[in-house]
Amino acid sequence: MILDAHGHVGTWPDFLIPDPTADGLIATMDRIGVSAMGISHLLAVGPDAAAGNRLAFEAARSHPGRFGVWQVYNPHQRNPLVTEGVWGVKLHPDVHECPLDDPRYDPVWELGLPVLAHGQTDSPWSDPSRFAVVAARHPDVPLLMGHSGLWPYGFARAARLVANHANVLLETCGSKTTGRWIARLAAMAGADRVVFGSDACFLDLRVGFGRVALAPLAEPDRALIQGGNLARILGHRLTPRI
Amino acid sequence: MPKLMDAHRLIGPVPFDDLPADPRPEMDRLGIDRACVTHTLSLYSGAQAGNEALFALDDPRLIPVPAVLPGDIALDEVLEWDVPLVRLCPRRHGFDLNGPTSLRYLSALTVPVAVELDDTDPAQLRALAAHLPDLRILLLNPGYRRLRAVAELMDAAPRVVLEIGTVNTQGGVEWLARRFGARRLVFGTGAPVLDDCGPRFLLDHLDLPQHDIDLIRAGSLEALL
Repeated sequence: MILDAHGHVGTWPDFLIPDPTADGLIATMDRIGVSAMGISHLLAVGPDAAAGNRLAFEAARSHPGRFGVWQVYNPHQRNPLVTEGVWGVKLHPDVHECPLDDPRYDPVWELGLPVLAHGQTDSPWSDPSRFAVVAARHPDVPLLMGHSGLWPYGFARAARLVANHANVLLETCGSKTTGRWIARLAAMAGADRVVFGSDACFLDLRVGFGRVALAPLAEPDRALIQGGNLARILGHRLTPRI
Repeated sequence: MPKLMDAHRLIGPVPFDDLPADPRPEMDRLGIDRACVTHTLSLYSGAQAGNEALFALDDPRLIPVPAVLPGDIALDEVLEWDVPLVRLCPRRHGFDLNGPTSLRYLSALTVPVAVELDDTDPAQLRALAAHLPDLRILLLNPGYRRLRAVAELMDAAPRVVLEIGTVNTQGGVEWLARRFGARRLVFGTGAPVLDDCGPRFLLDHLDLPQHDIDLIRAGSLEALL
């Protein structure tokens, strides 16, 4: 079972996304064999968390079993969160200009849900060192470091910073990463600590998946990264495809 | 399976990472038959040193793409190179793409030129195409964030051909193919600094007619060269 930990629907202001739709994602998932994708709506990442979350739930309802919802929490809007029928919570400290270890995010950690957070080396909001801080505070919260630090010069440091925090997993998406770096992360952190994510529709699902599919990995490790690890973390939250 | 050509690869060491200096094992692993290669010395040391290392290669799988540094490398020497494509690095090498020296060199060339988008910008390329409308330009590593500007450039400059390795937003390659035709798109990666696994997988899963995919695999690049 192939699971994409990091997906989106919707548009983004910086650049053209030729196909920002849920239907388009489903067509591509079918084309390449992705079973399910965790999504947040880019409206929710951006200016309206509550409205964007509603759109993400609607997309998930329209495609049963294919989309899990990462509901966005905006610390300024303090939007309500649910605990059932979701994969977890999505945080974007850089867009929200709120450091990951800031107390304004405490309502999220207190839920105990899996958390996917943007992680960007040298960012004042989401540097991997902040993942180590919150992982130590909340060792029972599964925490996915989106992009594993984003910039290639920071990947190895990101893996080192969270090496002793077993609840942190390194997620693979980003425009600057490579199949070689994914294999390196698996070697450094252990393949059981790396999860596939694409960042589609922001990025192209096929490119993100292809980096893992064609990375120089042993097949058991590839299977863990492509879905085994995320299935273990999500447990009952992973609803079967209908 | 029709052959596969990578329009954008590097050979040699880089100063900031431990990457394979020889592209051929990875080309073999990913089923890439031939590649246009520039030597890393041309990018990270000196243009001439990299070109000499490139010309010492003797492998028909590797198509040499030496760097032209207008003013530093004599035009007569450039015109004697037996290569189908040359590389320009205006920002990296600190020259004006539309300066008089560059235009003198480029107007004398009979081969296309390859340039990374980050080594210049769309306005500079539009100006170059206006100065030299017959010059064929292979735009490398265009990325995905400036797709609108790249499309405007391709509208204005019909002899610009695009390498798709970093066109990495959902459906971006299909959008370009519908707008400009697959004859203006070529497969490329920028490996090993940039990723080759994702673009290689994308190529096998494009939502395009097989004829278009074959053009992107090799036909468009062969026509350019």
